[in-house]
Amino acid sequence: MKITDLIGLAFSRLGTGKMRAALTMLGVIIGVASVVALVSVAQGATKGISDRLQSLGTNLLTVSPGFTTTGATRGGFGTATTLTVDDATALAQLDGVQAIAPELTSNKLVIAGTQNETARVVGTTPGYLSVFAYDMWVGSFLNQASVDHNLRVAVIGATTADNLSLTETSVGSTIFIGGLPFNLIGILQPKGGTTSTDDQVLIPLSTARQLFVGSNSVSAIGVSAANQDVISTVSAEITATLEQRHGITTGVDDFSIATQAQLLGTVSGVSDTLTLLLAGIASISLLVGGIGIMNIMLVSVRERTREIGIRKAIGARGRDILSQFLVEALALSLAGGLIGVGLGVVASYGIGVYAGWGFVFNPVTVVVAVLFSLIVGIVFGVWPASQAARLDPVVALRYE
Amino acid sequence: MSGVASEPIIRLENVSRVYDTGKVQVPALLDVDLEVADGEFLAIVGPSGSGKSTMMNILGCLDRPTSGRYILDSNPVDELDDDGLAYLRSRSIGFVFQSYNLLPRTSALENVAAPLLYQGVSRKERLRRAQAALERLGLADRVGHVPSELSGGQQQRVGIARALVTEPALLLADEPTGNLDSHSGAEVLELFKDLHSLGRTIVLITHDLDVAQAADRAVHLRDGRLQDAVPA
Ligand SMILES: Nc1ncnc2c1ncn2[C@@H]1O[C@H](COP(=O)(O)OP(=O)(O)O)[C@@H](O)[C@H]1O
Ligand SMILES: [Mg+2]
Repeated sequence: MKITDLIGLAFSRLGTGKMRAALTMLGVIIGVASVVALVSVAQGATKGISDRLQSLGTNLLTVSPGFTTTGATRGGFGTATTLTVDDATALAQLDGVQAIAPELTSNKLVIAGTQNETARVVGTTPGYLSVFAYDMWVGSFLNQASVDHNLRVAVIGATTADNLSLTETSVGSTIFIGGLPFNLIGILQPKGGTTSTDDQVLIPLSTARQLFVGSNSVSAIGVSAANQDVISTVSAEITATLEQRHGITTGVDDFSIATQAQLLGTVSGVSDTLTLLLAGIASISLLVGGIGIMNIMLVSVRERTREIGIRKAIGARGRDILSQFLVEALALSLAGGLIGVGLGVVASYGIGVYAGWGFVFNPVTVVVAVLFSLIVGIVFGVWPASQAARLDPVVALRYE
Repeated sequence: MSGVASEPIIRLENVSRVYDTGKVQVPALLDVDLEVADGEFLAIVGPSGSGKSTMMNILGCLDRPTSGRYILDSNPVDELDDDGLAYLRSRSIGFVFQSYNLLPRTSALENVAAPLLYQGVSRKERLRRAQAALERLGLADRVGHVPSELSGGQQQRVGIARALVTEPALLLADEPTGNLDSHSGAEVLELFKDLHSLGRTIVLITHDLDVAQAADRAVHLRDGRLQDAVPA
């Protein structure tokens, strides 16, 4: 039999039982749609996270205190006090380091007019702006003089400004941080996203130490390398310098260095696992859809026993019957697969727009999902079809 | 059809069919010898349980004899595999069934065209030949109807059109009037006579001696054995 004849038979058959065909396909539709949508969600989420990481500056190295990779236990991140302002100054002298930004972080109540919120207050230096790749929206950033003279000036993030109802006309006004008056000198451009990167208050490092922390230790040092190629060299230099300064000879460091590249690597590793996991879960529903097709095909073979007998009597060979039922199963699974891809793409578009990472369309997923649904059709269609092909025509013709 | 006029369309030599039910062996046909010449119209008559259906299955290449030889249209049926039998059913035999056995929810045209599907005929040609066959049987205005929209007589005529569309060497009818009222039954028998007068070979299987009158020769089956042939 010609393939066009087989397709014609399959479609005229599916046409006579539209409701049943639709219900049979539903399993595959849901399976394929969830594979496409979930994979797209996983990839979209990854894209969202790596975009945000990239917006932090790809040349960034973050040095944090008290993180020992070989120790059995460690304190909460940033709770150790092993990094000092002097360490930061030393790092600024290294080759390949463009700028540094020590961070002295505490949470304080911030009041502006009648609004107030508890914000992350970061004492830092002028290098902060370039190290973390921020831009000013209005006003100016902290300058060296403000650090040198412990000035009570503050620059706030875009989200903080929103929360406190501060606008460009508020620059020059007084806000209260931890009960003390500060002059608001600037507001940062938002970086976008929903993380806390836009919700913070920046004040001079010296001011923070004097008023809020009282010690020489910093919670982190941001280091920006001159370019991406020197990141590993700079990382090694930092390790050597800090080990020397801290007198460490055991190799068990009291600090840790994280680069953006490492973070991106970690994120994409996690994302690959996540994608695989979600695709795996969705594949189970595809499998269930395939079993649904097999079930209906078995019922169909039984119901159509007499038809099979008639077809054999008028000249059909076993393989003609086999291909007829197989193509029917394939038509069901392929149609289900295509509808599923359509729904999956629409769903991923909707989720992507809602979640803010936009439309992530992966043609590979679509091709794989369609191929997978074809395989489901073959695997779960072959058995019922061969049952049909093996029927004895005499018995089949007598079947009521 | 056979190119040699003297060669019979059907030759059964010492054919037996024994059903093996596991516990007992049921001999449904025993040592049957039969020849049907090209262009002959033969009736096989017998009471219920005499082996008529078994005979029909063997003649129609739906089943194989347990022993003996069967030559159909010069082909040794007893030596063929399943695909070989399917090929003979497709090329050499047209079935007409008591219960019509049309494909449900399928138009008369598609039903009649169906046997040509298994001969690899193109769709266009299939439909053309099915249309012509239906027109010959006076069903031109019923081509688009599905079986449930047709009377018994009409359904049987669709069945006959389907049997004829491949121009088979043998038309094999099993109680073709069994489900019809006497008028429609008579019409079908007239149709068979016409086909016979046009030279077609027909084997008609029935329990009804009156129906057998339509044929020009009748053989009688009893307990799986063929009685001596008597002219109808
Ligand atoms: N598949 C079968 N298995 C066992 N016995 C059978 C089978 N088919 C028919 N028979 C037996 O063979 C004999 C002939 O049956 P059948 O050919 O159907 O006769 P008829 O069609 O003349 O009524 C009967 O005794 C019947 O019970
Ligand atoms: Mg019978």
